[in-house]
Amino acid sequence: MTKPKVGFFGITGCAGCLLSFIFNEDEILDITNLVNLKAFPFIKEVNADDNFDIVFLEGLVASKEDLETLKKLRGNTKILVSLGACACTGCVPAYRHFTLKENYEHLLYEKRERIRDVEPTPIDAHVKVDYFIPGCPPNKKEILSFIKDLLLGKKPRQYTDPVCVECRRNNNLCLLDIGKPCLGPITLGGCNSVCTNGGFECWGCRGPTKDMNLDLMIKVLKEKGFDDKFIKDRMRTFAGLKLPVLERVINAKGNNAKPHNKD
Amino acid sequence: MQVFRLEKKRLMPFLRKVMRSYELVAPVKTDLVRFEKIKNPKSICFEKPYFPVKGFFFKKHQVLFEFDGSRVKIPANNEPERVFFGLKKCDLNAIIRQDKVFLEDAEDPYYKASREKSFLLGFHCDEACSEYCFCGSMELVDFYDLMFYDKGNHFLVEEGSEKGRFLISKFKEFFKPVPRKITQEEKEIKGTDRLKKNSITHLYDHPGWQKDVENCFSCGACTALCPTCYCFEIHDEVKSSCLSKGCRKRCWSSCQLQSFTRVAGDHVFREKREERFKHRIFHQLGYFKEKYGMNLCVGCGRCIEGCPTRIDFIKTINEMEDEQRE
Amino acid sequence: MNKENNNLTEENPYVPKPYKVTDFYRETSDTFTITIDMKVKHDPGQFVQVTLPGIGEAPVSICSDSDKYIKLNIREVGNVTRALAKLKKGDTLLIRGPYGNGYPMEVLKGNNLLIIGGGCGVAPLKGVIDYVENHRDDYQEVQLVLGYRSPDDIIFKRELAEWKNKYNLQVTVDKNPQSKFCYDAKVGFVTEYLKEAHLSNENKVVFICGPPIMMKFVIDILKEKGFNDDQIFISAERLMYCGIGVCCHCMIHGKFTCLDGPVFRYDEVKDFKND
Repeated sequence: MTKPKVGFFGITGCAGCLLSFIFNEDEILDITNLVNLKAFPFIKEVNADDNFDIVFLEGLVASKEDLETLKKLRGNTKILVSLGACACTGCVPAYRHFTLKENYEHLLYEKRERIRDVEPTPIDAHVKVDYFIPGCPPNKKEILSFIKDLLLGKKPRQYTDPVCVECRRNNNLCLLDIGKPCLGPITLGGCNSVCTNGGFECWGCRGPTKDMNLDLMIKVLKEKGFDDKFIKDRMRTFAGLKLPVLERVINAKGNNAKPHNKD
Repeated sequence: MQVFRLEKKRLMPFLRKVMRSYELVAPVKTDLVRFEKIKNPKSICFEKPYFPVKGFFFKKHQVLFEFDGSRVKIPANNEPERVFFGLKKCDLNAIIRQDKVFLEDAEDPYYKASREKSFLLGFHCDEACSEYCFCGSMELVDFYDLMFYDKGNHFLVEEGSEKGRFLISKFKEFFKPVPRKITQEEKEIKGTDRLKKNSITHLYDHPGWQKDVENCFSCGACTALCPTCYCFEIHDEVKSSCLSKGCRKRCWSSCQLQSFTRVAGDHVFREKREERFKHRIFHQLGYFKEKYGMNLCVGCGRCIEGCPTRIDFIKTINEMEDEQRE
Repeated sequence: MNKENNNLTEENPYVPKPYKVTDFYRETSDTFTITIDMKVKHDPGQFVQVTLPGIGEAPVSICSDSDKYIKLNIREVGNVTRALAKLKKGDTLLIRGPYGNGYPMEVLKGNNLLIIGGGCGVAPLKGVIDYVENHRDDYQEVQLVLGYRSPDDIIFKRELAEWKNKYNLQVTVDKNPQSKFCYDAKVGFVTEYLKEAHLSNENKVVFICGPPIMMKFVIDILKEKGFNDDQIFISAERLMYCGIGVCCHCMIHGKFTCLDGPVFRYDEVKDFKND
């Protein structure tokens, strides 16, 4: 069997998702033996830039250069995988869509003539994406099993269950019960509930589940005393662009329950 | 059944001695009450655990076998002998249900391996442990190796099986036989008969479910916390060092999820939340009884207590019943 | 491994055994039939769980009637079935089973049989046809109505010629734009043919296997033509893991597809909603 030609690339992002793969210390050499790692500019000196079978791409489109890189990679690979929250949902940078320019203008570089920015968007807003490995950062084991599935000729299955499934199996206290604004019930799991295991509520980094009950999530958060602005901000931190209905749902009748503290 | 007296101050010495021969599992309270392997019996708490005991028998992750190409190797069984202490009546009856599924119907060697090596020591509740309990409506039976009744300065301990008799004789210095029986009254758990009707088959199409469905995230907390829910999925994992080597694993799953009925080609049989919601209730209170003659549900109320929105389907059923009676 | 110390090895229902592929035959662009040297008694309509280690396990119905081998007709839809398509004669695969409740052929002796199949739903019905072939005197008239999407999708082409000579066979294809030869097939859905056909329900049982929507419409037509619910047998398909009535994924209103089915008499399941 010829080894599949694999590339790991990043556009605008923090490189954390690429690191997540590298953190598979025990198994990384085994996996790189099974594939032809043609490019990984983050850790390799010599890198090819075309003719790939699988490309993992971290980051989101925030500049014209990003867009050019993305389109070129799409044209040069059979399978394009969105790696991490930025690539899958837009993550924190895409929050710019939900705030006014004057709110962040003072934070920008003074000299930014060289930055040809575009609206920050996840990569599937521009090209066809074959698979998504969400998360900020993604689960390192998930990247491995994804590669192994492809090597075995399997179609990797996208995890569709909410965070609560793993969180409850991990015998955790429900953070909603102690008044924390946990988005676990509407967020894609597959992370082994790593945040809630440590008592930190889910912020929804893997994006919403297809089966989410958004109305109920908003209702529950309002009952816990969180206001519309907080709920919108929290839900948009990681996946605002994947929740186009949020504004409508939050303003819908019946969801205007007066905030009060339950318990 | 023979009844014994155990002085309260002798409980810790008894449990310490048990720990010399067995692994001891009992409820421990931190942020919540969980069944845990006990290191110091002083840490044991007598409250109802928030999480069920089922994971000790029906493991969350179970390697069914390892493979190397088409050669199959079954893992060695090295389950320790365990003494479970502090099981509530609901926990014990839940074990009956899982025994039906995993031992009577299809003999499941993995379940059997841990179940066979277990001693079940119950702790009697005098009254409902929480507002969610409804064990009194679920026709629970006496099932235990030993059952502990709190009588102030001492416990009365009732034998329930050969295994229980064996334990008493093994640790006989702690137990003094008393010439009395545990009365039906003493066995009662007050305030737990909450469900007004035991058959709900006729309520399937009732619109009364709708408000519960709207309050459901389909997050699967109810099934994970249920002491009887026994669904699982099976998948293969391969080693990075050699893709032809790996193992087949069995893991818990939940009927509340769309992935539960998703087949190749991405068709989902129970796509609607309502269908999934009702499936659990009707399996618990209907389908299982048709097959095994008892409700799957034991009335522990964990699925209500652990639900992010506290969906109380017992209340809903009662409301529908009341309305139909009017 | 110390066997005495391990009670997991005896009669472990989850552990499949190795068998050899003795024949591989490609039926259409996405279906194939493999023959396996598994010597086991089984009823038509029962299924086995086929494992390719590392890929996974999939239930496949047996489409033959012999105690010397089993044949499996498989459509490439999922990971396991796509990987099975790469098997060659002499390869090894792992199987456990057979499982499930097949067609109650013994009980139905003396009846006329109407066998209606759609697409890859014809596969388990071929098991019935082979069974009838081996017990021809036990049954009266046998009528086959088999529907496919197009002439290119016809499975069991090798067998159809033979069936044509022996039974009352009607093939239908949903469309045949190039007017290919296909066993005097009528163009149109199975249901359209059945609607026009003269069907008597006397001493007759009907076996239907195909896509759920087709089964539904066929049942409607049969009911119009006076068939009773208990004369109709249908097949259900669900996600399955264990095959032995434990894992619950295949449960339909409390009935296990893997245990009580996959073949159900229609009156037993007709009130079930899509649950």
